[in-house]
Amino acid sequence: MTETDPQVAKSPEVALAVRNLNFYYGENHALHDISIDFPARRVTAMIGPSGCGKSTLLRVFNRMYDLYPGQRATGEVIFDGRNVLERDLDLNILRARVGMVFQKPTPFPMSIYDNIAFGVRLHEKLNKAEMDARVQDVLTRVALWNEVRDRLHAPASGLSGGQQQRLCIARSIATRPEVLLLDEPTSALDPISTARIEELLDELKEEFTIAIVTHNMQQAARCADQVAFFYMGRLIEVDSADRMFTNPKQQQTQDYITGRFG
Amino acid sequence: MSGTVVSTTGWKPNPRAARRRRADHLATAFGMVMAGILVLVLASILWTLLSRGLAGLSATAIMKPMGPPGSSSGLANAIVGSLIQTFMALLMATPLGLGCGIYLSEYGTETNKFASCVRFVSDVLMSVPSILVGLFVYQVLVAPFGHFSALAGSVALAILAVPIIVRTTEDMLRLVPTSMREAGAALGATRWRVTLSLCLRSAKTGVLTGILLALARVSGETAPLLFTSLGNQNWSFSLNRPMASLPVTIYQYAGASYEDWVQLAWAGALLVTMGVLAINIAVRVSARRG
Repeated sequence: MTETDPQVAKSPEVALAVRNLNFYYGENHALHDISIDFPARRVTAMIGPSGCGKSTLLRVFNRMYDLYPGQRATGEVIFDGRNVLERDLDLNILRARVGMVFQKPTPFPMSIYDNIAFGVRLHEKLNKAEMDARVQDVLTRVALWNEVRDRLHAPASGLSGGQQQRLCIARSIATRPEVLLLDEPTSALDPISTARIEELLDELKEEFTIAIVTHNMQQAARCADQVAFFYMGRLIEVDSADRMFTNPKQQQTQDYITGRFG
Repeated sequence: MSGTVVSTTGWKPNPRAARRRRADHLATAFGMVMAGILVLVLASILWTLLSRGLAGLSATAIMKPMGPPGSSSGLANAIVGSLIQTFMALLMATPLGLGCGIYLSEYGTETNKFASCVRFVSDVLMSVPSILVGLFVYQVLVAPFGHFSALAGSVALAILAVPIIVRTTEDMLRLVPTSMREAGAALGATRWRVTLSLCLRSAKTGVLTGILLALARVSGETAPLLFTSLGNQNWSFSLNRPMASLPVTIYQYAGASYEDWVQLAWAGALLVTMGVLAINIAVRVSARRG
């Protein structure tokens, strides 16, 4: 089915292996020959100026682009031995295994409890006690449990922006995915909420492979193990966060990081 | 670099500014006068309706069925007939209108030819004269069977209600942000589940409002019922037979030369208006809650 080196696909170290990925919005060629590995249980930050293709890449991993006719991807994204770009792949299973959190918090029009139960019910049949336990577990892990334990059945829209975003992260990890995609998850939040979510990432990477798109260089430096710099639809450089921010190999990376453009 | 701003004209009166101010006052006055006329028209209609309708409104008018002139008859069978027919119409129109609106909003993108065709037809249907709908249903459901029926009346009303429900459902669903759909899909929900559990749920107040507006719109319709459910002097609960309704009764009674019938017509008109008013208030209350 796929021609990828089986060593790469099976290696426990690499959760997502991207090979020669090209992406098109209709006629517009948005990603050019991207090849990059996402190490398992590490945070990989994707940085670059607006329109460089980093969010586009993120939306390939859970096939979000499938919602829109005219958008297509070629190449390979190997996840657990399969190319997720295959036409006959079960998208609902893929999206249960690859969760996503968006830029703006998107609470569903239901209670806090049901926001989490909604996703779980799609994939698992739990009894009341099991569901209660699952809800408490994920809310505890995003440090929201103490704030909402008394109003689990109140509408989620009543939470603050930062709380809503943590709820969305809880909702995503409640289906027990292996990969978590975060598309600028803190850009709509205040500094305190941002700090809490960054702390959260540190804990979550014990269990999940995290890919985060961010415009915030400090955030990338603080949270990421690996950083990838994109520019105009191309992957310019990928390296450990330490090396990337102290000693980048490419001049373009250097210029972007030091704020000379972008 | 001093902080004072030196004007070239100072406090000298500016004739152009004065002219603009006069035009502004004039436009405001024009708008207020027009608004006043509109309110006056509505108020005088309501005043006539109240003063004449209240005179005819009595326990007999509501409790007793229609009867010959001078027999202390009422409108009971017409009231019940109207309720049955509009309820039946809503029962038919709601699933059709909802389904159609959902299709247009969630599946009918701009490039979809069939969807834009459906959208166009629905919009045309909204402005079709209601008597034409009555004639059509007469041809399809009355003439072939050889008799008028309440069912035919309900179908005619349903045809009028559907496009209103389609339009509001589509509009309300389109207000649901794309991010909601993406968030649902990102959890592995199918499109149908996203539509039903997320989109329709967040748009439910607006959708409900559309259904109530359709109800208000059809509950006063007379023309589509004239050749379909016809009207009935007696009690009838059979959908297969002619059935009385308030608008048709008003139409029959208002032009009669019997004083008590004319009075009942006014009472019926008041009842219909109050019903529509009640629905509109319900719409406002539900919109505020949402």
